[in-house]
Amino acid sequence: MYAIEVSHLTKRFGTLTALNDVNFSVDVGETFGFLGPNGAGKTTTIRILTGISYPTSGTATIFGHDIGRDTIAARQSMGIVSETSNVYDDLTAWQNMIFSAELYHVGRNEREKKAAELLATFDLYERRNDKAHGFSKGMKRRLTLAMGLVNSPRLLFLDEPTSGLDVQSNLIIRDVITGLTREGVTVFLTTHNIEEANLMCDRVAIVNKGHIAAIDAPERLKKTIQSAQSIVVSFDHVSAGQFEEVRGLSMVNAAVKEGDKFRLYTEDPATVIESVMEYARTRNLRVISISTLGPSLEDVFIRLTGLQRTGGMIHAID
Amino acid sequence: MITYYIKPNIIVSGILFPLFMFLAFAIGKNAPPGTLIPGLIAITLLFSASSIEPVSIPIERRVKTFDRLLAAPISLHSLVFGESVSGFLYSLCIACLPVALGIILFATPIEHAPVLVIAMALTAFCFATLGTLFAAYPTENVGEVMSMLNTVRLPLIFISGVFIPISEIPQIGQFIALLSPLTYGNDMIAYAYTGTSLYSPMLDIAALLIFILIFQLVANRLYKKFNE
Repeated sequence: MYAIEVSHLTKRFGTLTALNDVNFSVDVGETFGFLGPNGAGKTTTIRILTGISYPTSGTATIFGHDIGRDTIAARQSMGIVSETSNVYDDLTAWQNMIFSAELYHVGRNEREKKAAELLATFDLYERRNDKAHGFSKGMKRRLTLAMGLVNSPRLLFLDEPTSGLDVQSNLIIRDVITGLTREGVTVFLTTHNIEEANLMCDRVAIVNKGHIAAIDAPERLKKTIQSAQSIVVSFDHVSAGQFEEVRGLSMVNAAVKEGDKFRLYTEDPATVIESVMEYARTRNLRVISISTLGPSLEDVFIRLTGLQRTGGMIHAID
Repeated sequence: MITYYIKPNIIVSGILFPLFMFLAFAIGKNAPPGTLIPGLIAITLLFSASSIEPVSIPIERRVKTFDRLLAAPISLHSLVFGESVSGFLYSLCIACLPVALGIILFATPIEHAPVLVIAMALTAFCFATLGTLFAAYPTENVGEVMSMLNTVRLPLIFISGVFIPISEIPQIGQFIALLSPLTYGNDMIAYAYTGTSLYSPMLDIAALLIFILIFQLVANRLYKKFNE
């Protein structure tokens, strides 16, 4: 049995097709990332999987429970952390936790124990009697995550869990998610932070325009685009026109300026290194550093979603 | 829900507006204020019960806590019912004020106290469900829902025999009065106070229960439709 099984899921809003025949499954205990540009269908997918919205056609099951027909049983096993920190500002942290536990029918003794434990884990126990109104963005995010875990879910939906957070909150949240996966909790994660998905996910799905463009482990996805190998080089002197010159070197497919470095994409790193060294000699430049990088998950994402790099910027081509 | 009970919109709609209506009619009709207490109770129930959800649900949509409720392991039917209960409880508490006003200030006698309790409870729940129904409109703006709601509930005061007896309004108005839940709530409250009414209390109860059922079913359909 899968934690999530999605079959031929289609969702239309009038003439707009938000999801088009989407199929995927998530194993129990897996951390699954859902990546895609804005408007790709990520939020629509989460809303259907959590039973808030309904598909036009197709099915989705959570631990074998059809989310459309057996909604309550399916929801009982899940925790949901939405993109917005949707806590009740006029309630204290403790009241927020207890209310959330009551919504999930957690018993009285268990809910108080769990609330205390989670508030301590998220470094909020000392502030438990303070209204959420006065909390920082990071504290509200931590409280939202604590509320999502109060029913000890077997499946956790995380929508952009660390977006725009301070370092402390980021670290706490990532540690907790890592701990949950060790305990066998299935995590379904949407994120714009590709490096986060790369570090945390067993597999990722890249979704674009309502379609799944690819699903695989991050490392295997990277291997699919060997042409996205790159050389990162920095010179002792940067001058106008230098970017155009290095971009025109032999075997360079594309180039991006990253701070004081140039990243040169190529299928043939050895030839490009030779070209770079030759270029440095002719221009009387000293190479400060040079390294070879394999394709990143970001490269895969850009390739599959139809985005393109232009001079250090990423542009949507659609 | 206590958080929402003290919002300015709720205070104005649920308490001040019925009070001003009462004063306007009491002065305009030049009638002993005590005789207007049943009408005051009826409009207090109407305005207080139907005001809670049109304020709380758009606010909850704005701060995204409504998604938390929609995603909880409870049925949509239970959620709609639960939302109505909060308006119902608030309204019953508020409606005790005009009851107390009648007893303390005007010594207005109550002929059938148990009927009054049943009438107040059913009327409060009926209008709380009406408020929940209007709050299904998918907006984060309280004013939008309140505007739509007021276009329905303001005319109800004039066609439901609250301050003007149904027998004194034009024929077309008398027919429309049959379609107003306030007609039956007000009629039953009047019976509790005076022992006389246009319809029998059993008919009033049946009519209010039918309205509650219709409002609940329509609200369920709308919440489901607007969440798609």
